[in-house]
Amino acid sequence: MQEKEALMADSLLSYIALAMILFSIGFLGVIARKNIFIVYMSIELMLNAINLIFIALGRYYESMQPQVIALIIIAIAAAEAAVFLSLIVVLYRKKKSLNSDVFNVLNQKDAAHE
Amino acid sequence: MMTPDFIYLLPLFFVGIGAISLMILSTFKTMTIRKGAIATLLFLVLAFLSNGYNLNSGDVVYSVYPFVDIFNKMIVVDTFSGYFSTILILGGILTILIGLHYFERHKQFTVEFFSLFLFSVFGMMLLVHANELISAFIALEIASISLYVMIGFQKVIDKRIEASYRYLVLGSLAGVFFLLGTSFIYAATQTTTIGTIGNMALNTVDSNAPLLIIGGTMILITFLFKIAAFPFQSWALDVYDGAPLPVTAFMAATFKAAIFGFLLRLVVVDFDLIRDFWDEVLVYVIIFTLAYGSFLAIIQKSLKRMLVASSIVHTGYLLIALVSIGVIGESAASSIIFYLVAYFLSAIGAFGLIAYISSEGQLRITYDDFRGFAKIRPYMAAMLSVFMLSLAGIPSTIGFIGKFYIFTGAIESGYAILAIVGIIATFISVYYYFKLIAVMYFYRSSELIDVPPLKGIAPIVISVIALTIVWGGVGNTLVAYFPGVDFLIDMANLSYESLFIWQ
Repeated sequence: MQEKEALMADSLLSYIALAMILFSIGFLGVIARKNIFIVYMSIELMLNAINLIFIALGRYYESMQPQVIALIIIAIAAAEAAVFLSLIVVLYRKKKSLNSDVFNVLNQKDAAHE
Repeated sequence: MMTPDFIYLLPLFFVGIGAISLMILSTFKTMTIRKGAIATLLFLVLAFLSNGYNLNSGDVVYSVYPFVDIFNKMIVVDTFSGYFSTILILGGILTILIGLHYFERHKQFTVEFFSLFLFSVFGMMLLVHANELISAFIALEIASISLYVMIGFQKVIDKRIEASYRYLVLGSLAGVFFLLGTSFIYAATQTTTIGTIGNMALNTVDSNAPLLIIGGTMILITFLFKIAAFPFQSWALDVYDGAPLPVTAFMAATFKAAIFGFLLRLVVVDFDLIRDFWDEVLVYVIIFTLAYGSFLAIIQKSLKRMLVASSIVHTGYLLIALVSIGVIGESAASSIIFYLVAYFLSAIGAFGLIAYISSEGQLRITYDDFRGFAKIRPYMAAMLSVFMLSLAGIPSTIGFIGKFYIFTGAIESGYAILAIVGIIATFISVYYYFKLIAVMYFYRSSELIDVPPLKGIAPIVISVIALTIVWGGVGNTLVAYFPGVDFLIDMANLSYESLFIWQ
């Protein structure tokens, strides 16, 4: 029995380590990449890393609650995706580019027409 | 007498149903902006009335978990949430009334906008009712996602879409950190319900404390981001500047109140452990927020950007009261609640008036544009002066009383240094607020041609807000026995008490 618990704790740790690696990759993608599509995908990656943590915890504590939380997070990620994708389409139509460097209206201080 | 559970949820119900029915109504050809606004107001007024009924009926202080077998204590209805819902619904009503002229003038707005607007109000109300981290996250996302779309609603204007995109990326990033924090807290305590977390944390303090502190920190980061405190303030200027003015007013005044509503519940009820850990760091956060916000406000030429930068400074004042909670719980919490009302009135008035002034044509609203404004529109100039005085915290306005409570609370709780920094920031704020008053009254020459005259509903509402600000300030400082802001403070105290009723 003890052996099994130790095994569970070990595998929980490895799952959380994997999730944190995915999370870090996603975070790096958001702050370092220029392509707005990749920024969006990085945020999805981070959300899914958190899902992985929750599901591993659900197995560890033998509880259904984290799995429900994971399902809810998936639903929220879908809602966010709808806004993200539509904004990407609008942005692309304006500038014909996905590089975030070309979207710089807000940085030009004097062009602040209301 | 027992009130049926659904009565408690009626305010939320009305706003949610309103959002959905406006979505359906917007498909009809005959719906105009004006009709949509009237329908929105109808639902908000219904919600306001039912919320007032909940606050006034039954016990003075109450705390109920409606439908406990379905929601399992995820949603709580207490005096605290009732008080905040009042602010939020009022914010919605005022924004619609003030912005109506703006929405009608700009062709891109359609009736769907009002549906999104109601969804956003719904999300904020759900946030102050939330008693569980995941439902708080859902509420936060409902409010934020509606705001992302509302900011970018005029999709022909580059500025709007870029502001929307920037807010979307950074807002989702903050949301992800909230979830990460929640997962850590779940790992430590096996629960996400507020109240239970605190109990579990007390019992299992040794091994799980680091996990709890890291998780709580992540959640704190999310909220510091959303209220634009120091290390996370960079988005605020651009996003608020890029948004349409009525939406900026709504975000600055109402969203901040909603987030402080949940943050206060979290910090007061549950996060003793984490708060003790973070108080020292928060002191530096506050000092930098005040300093950097003041700096940003001084260098702005555009009035809108100045108001946004000054809202960062006001976040700093609110955070001062947040750290004093550890020492003097009740008075600090109620000073936050009171200051939120004061700031809400001043900000929505100032932004709303500027929105009204700039609703005609493509006007650049800088300080220079307001030269000699008092000659052309004396009443508007007077109202704008009242809002500036209140934001600067000059006596005889409600802003002064709010600042007074916060600074006395800081001194009482031993954070005299914060009070000093806050008062210095207030001195500096006199510069950028009074610059506008000086420009309006003491300069000649103006090229303001297309300022709308004083007619319609918006100027009336704005002048009512201005009168409220003066009344709130004069009420209890000068005239004894004059019904002033006392009941607001009493309500703030009661709502703080209601956080501690356990069932």
